[in-house]
Amino acid sequence: MFYKHNRAYELREAKQMKKHILTLSFLLTIGFLSFGQSTDPFVSNCAMNAGANAKYLKDFRIQLGKTAVQSDLRYKANMSLWKNTKYRFTLCNTEDSKGQLILNIKDDANKVILSSFDQKTGKTYPFVDFICQKSGIYHLSYDFTNGQQGSGVGVVSMVK
Amino acid sequence: MKGRVFLLLIVVFVCFSCRNSSNKTGRFVFPEADSVPTSEAEKLSPEVIADISRNISSPVEIANLLQMLEVPFSQNYIAASIDANKQGTNFDKALKLGILGADLGYLNMYEKTGSSLDVLSSIRKIAEDIKVGQFFDFESIKRLSQNKSNLDSLLFISIDSYTQIDNYLRGNDRGQLSALMIIGVWIEGQYLATQVVSQFPDKMLSDRIGEQKIILNDLLLLVSPYCNRDTEFTELCKNLQEIKNIYRDVRITYTQGDPVSMEKDGGLVINQTETSVVEMSEEQLEGIIEITKNIRNRLILNN
Repeated sequence: MFYKHNRAYELREAKQMKKHILTLSFLLTIGFLSFGQSTDPFVSNCAMNAGANAKYLKDFRIQLGKTAVQSDLRYKANMSLWKNTKYRFTLCNTEDSKGQLILNIKDDANKVILSSFDQKTGKTYPFVDFICQKSGIYHLSYDFTNGQQGSGVGVVSMVK
Repeated sequence: MKGRVFLLLIVVFVCFSCRNSSNKTGRFVFPEADSVPTSEAEKLSPEVIADISRNISSPVEIANLLQMLEVPFSQNYIAASIDANKQGTNFDKALKLGILGADLGYLNMYEKTGSSLDVLSSIRKIAEDIKVGQFFDFESIKRLSQNKSNLDSLLFISIDSYTQIDNYLRGNDRGQLSALMIIGVWIEGQYLATQVVSQFPDKMLSDRIGEQKIILNDLLLLVSPYCNRDTEFTELCKNLQEIKNIYRDVRITYTQGDPVSMEKDGGLVINQTETSVVEMSEEQLEGIIEITKNIRNRLILNN
């Protein structure tokens, strides 16, 4: 009798456990699938707002803390740019960023080609169009104004 | 009791296997044949590999150039013979994923949605086979392709899916598959450009082909840690070296000048006055067209 009662209890427990496992597996699978396919809406908004004729090419996601000494822009990446192409570099930062996202580009001879930040006036530009006439690998540097903390994205598009 | 222990083991197994599937919290466990010894992977830093992958001319840029030159779309340039079900090794799968990605970029730019659905299905199958299907947003890309209304979103999601796959592979000791995907994208873009230039000769396009010399060293650098890995990689390295040899006498010179800037619509416009000039003979171009065709056609053969 005790065995039967115990057996029934175990079966009920097992059934419940099975249900929990199925639910858990389902939730984990759904969570995993949706996580895997997620595209950051902040990045996609910045890319989609680059302009009517702009076609997305790449993005750089930047998150930096505050720095006391700023000698050079901190986030660095290389990218090839091709002759006869008009590129648009769009700069977006999150609302909680303390500084504005800025960019400068140097060529492979370390010559500054463009800067989205005017050091004389302190003006920052939300986008820079670059009409490239020299194919090559360029050095992109991003940071936030005055070495402030911030997060943002630099989108590179092609403009017709 | 035995049953409960068994069920508990299942719960633990389910939890761990799902946790390992996430690209942020853990790592997949892959078959040994698919992993790279740490010493090989360490030869190039992740930053260097990321830079190299960004240096590869995007197929979207090439397709954009073709549209600018008013080159008509041709289905003949697409690697339609690739059968996603007949890719035997991960080498084949990753390389084809790159080739098909370049084709998808070309189709998207020309808004050829009917053909892009076939390419999309092949991409999905191959991506799932090498366990990166979760990063390829098939349904959204399919929906956007069918709508024809939002090319910007389509390009963004397609490219972003590939970037996520690339990042994931590199972050999970599968850099060799990332390298193959990047090489696949490049070789197909190069095939597209060379096939078009042989039918529609154009200086701007032949210059773009000649300028690929700039990134050839990077491509070889990317694949070099794996050249002795197996016969497939050895053959691929040999092929890339052959392409590099053909490019040896192509010259790129530069003229000096300072950029001119002006404000427009709240932004800044920079016009570069420095220029790059490609010096490449007809014979050299012919050689590049020929070798690219041979290598690319060999690579798209099904096993």
